Amino acid sequence: MLSRSPFLYFLTLLLFKQKSKHLGIMSISVVMIALVSAVLFISSSLQKTLQDTLDEQADFTVTRIEAGRPVSTPLAWVDKIIEIEGVSEVAPRIHGRYFYAPGEESFLVVGIDFFDEQGSKALQSLLKGIDLKQFFAEESMIVGEGVKDFLQKHYYKDTFSFKTPRGEFKKVKIDEVLPGSLNLLANDMIIMPIGLAREIFGLKEDEVTDITFNVPNDAEWDNVIGKLHLVDYEIRVVEKREVEKAYENLYNYKGGIFLILYIIALLTLMLILYQRYAMVYSHERKEIGILRAVGWSIRDILKLKFYETLILVISSFVIGTVAAYGYVFVLGAPVLIEIFLGGANLENQVQLIPEVSFGTLGSLFLLYAVPFFAAVLIPSWRVAVIPPKEAMR
Amino acid sequence: MIRIEDVGKRFGEGENLFEALKSITLEVEEGECVILSGISGSGKSTLLSLIAALDRPSSGKIVVEGELVSKLPDLHASAYRAKTIGVIFQHFNLIESLSVEENVIVPLINSGLDMPAIRKMAEQSMQRASILHKASQDVASLSGGEKQRCAIARALVHDPKVILCDEPTANLDRENSLRFIETIQKLHQAGKTIVVATHDPLFEALPFESRVIHMADGMIGKHGE
Ligand SMILES: Nc1ncnc2c1ncn2[C@@H]1O[C@H](COP(=O)(O)OP(=O)(O)OP(=O)(O)O)[C@@H](O)[C@H]1O
Ligand SMILES: [Mg+2]
Repeated sequence: MLSRSPFLYFLTLLLFKQKSKHLGIMSISVVMIALVSAVLFISSSLQKTLQDTLDEQADFTVTRIEAGRPVSTPLAWVDKIIEIEGVSEVAPRIHGRYFYAPGEESFLVVGIDFFDEQGSKALQSLLKGIDLKQFFAEESMIVGEGVKDFLQKHYYKDTFSFKTPRGEFKKVKIDEVLPGSLNLLANDMIIMPIGLAREIFGLKEDEVTDITFNVPNDAEWDNVIGKLHLVDYEIRVVEKREVEKAYENLYNYKGGIFLILYIIALLTLMLILYQRYAMVYSHERKEIGILRAVGWSIRDILKLKFYETLILVISSFVIGTVAAYGYVFVLGAPVLIEIFLGGANLENQVQLIPEVSFGTLGSLFLLYAVPFFAAVLIPSWRVAVIPPKEAMR
Repeated sequence: MIRIEDVGKRFGEGENLFEALKSITLEVEEGECVILSGISGSGKSTLLSLIAALDRPSSGKIVVEGELVSKLPDLHASAYRAKTIGVIFQHFNLIESLSVEENVIVPLINSGLDMPAIRKMAEQSMQRASILHKASQDVASLSGGEKQRCAIARALVHDPKVILCDEPTANLDRENSLRFIETIQKLHQAGKTIVVATHDPLFEALPFESRVIHMADGMIGKHGE
């Protein structure tokens, strides 16, 4: 086809023979696009994971407080909470951070009840595909990827010994490792049978860490909160919407940093486009005049410039975004991710799940392509309309 | 046939107003070879550019092959240049980054012909201009004479009826100049209408029939006056 269409042939000929002219602008564009889309990829991936995590969280979490400090929560509250109108899926939980002093790290230990069909939504999704019967048969645990790596570094291959508040050591078998895609949620997580967790945290039979439940009707929320305070004077209620707000604020704060990046990228784009704009008047003026002189119409010139720009814009955009995709989702966005998460530890060693917002990517393309086309087509048109004799001077 | 009627061309305005052409009237018959001679600044190039519709006259009219070229809108002016006119410019006006052949095909890109046909026409034209042996060489590395032959090949590639040459020998040595005159002679014999703007005395006594028109100060006089 290339050898058949004279226009396409000539277009590729010009691009190829004058590639040095486009190379500088192309490479800067590619770097800018890669940078901006990498940031977009990371943020949309994190946001998605965060949203998924929040979606799985219960609407309310309650704990008992003593002198303002959360302490063990009586299991008896469950029955009282179930009686409140509009409440559903009440689930007692045993969980907490287990600090491992020699390694200066802490894990999130979560106890689950084999007989409790409901469980928490979050846990259900974590435990998909894991043989629970086998798991509950012995004293074993399921660990996040980060925990596994950490334990291995400290020479715990198949088992780990927890130290209970009573000073005894509890040896627990490592049964299974959670997939890396769950890392934002579960990197530092250890899941074990509820009895085992109770032992490790030194809780009595009738005590749990906290109780979660849902209130499907939003309008009932404030009402429910009022009734909760009648259950017990020493109750602390955490609402999901508060957690959401906290995350949102954190996210917006990070967004500010990247706003600066966007502005820098935009300024760079303006600069290279100005250079491109000026180039038409300096280098391409005569060429346009020559083409006009040998019979090209203004339309032919604009068509040539349009397709030339189209090829450059699309190829640099594709190269930039594909590079960003590889950098973020294959390499895990080294360096940049630190800016997002503020230093790495077990808690936030995330594996970025590919999540591309095509809307955002489309806007980015327009933001890049429209000024680019303008920077080429406007001066080309202005040169093309002057008499060829003048343009060639 | 070219008919120029009372054509004037002014550049600039106000204090900078300059009349490059003042009331030019001239007829060139089909197949005729006309030499526009005159000192630098007399308006030769300006007149050629008006005939080629590369610019428009400020007054008067120009008719070429029955077409009123002084008033053509762009699309028609381009088509007119692409079909009727072949121009050999003083400074060649080639695209330096392209090869000889690639320069020669430029006028045919939007002609509707397919690539094989275009290549064939380019080859014939390069053959005629004796530059075929340099077809794939980049123009930037050619000598002056070779560049001009490339420019000739480009001007002739679409087989135009009217050929306009602006100072064709200004950048050539004597040998190349004589070669160019031979080329012009062949084109003349082929029945082309030719207008050459030059102040090279070589053109005062051509070995074939031609008419010399003297230009001075934007006006024309008759041969010998
Ligand atoms: N675009 C322009 N603006 C102002 N003046 C112009 C322009 N083009 C040509 N002129 C003037 O018109 C006059 C005629 O120019 P032209 O190029 O036609 O002369 P010429 O006879 O071809 O000269 P030469 O032998 O040097 O090529 C010159 O004085 C020139 O300065
Ligand atoms: Mg001149």
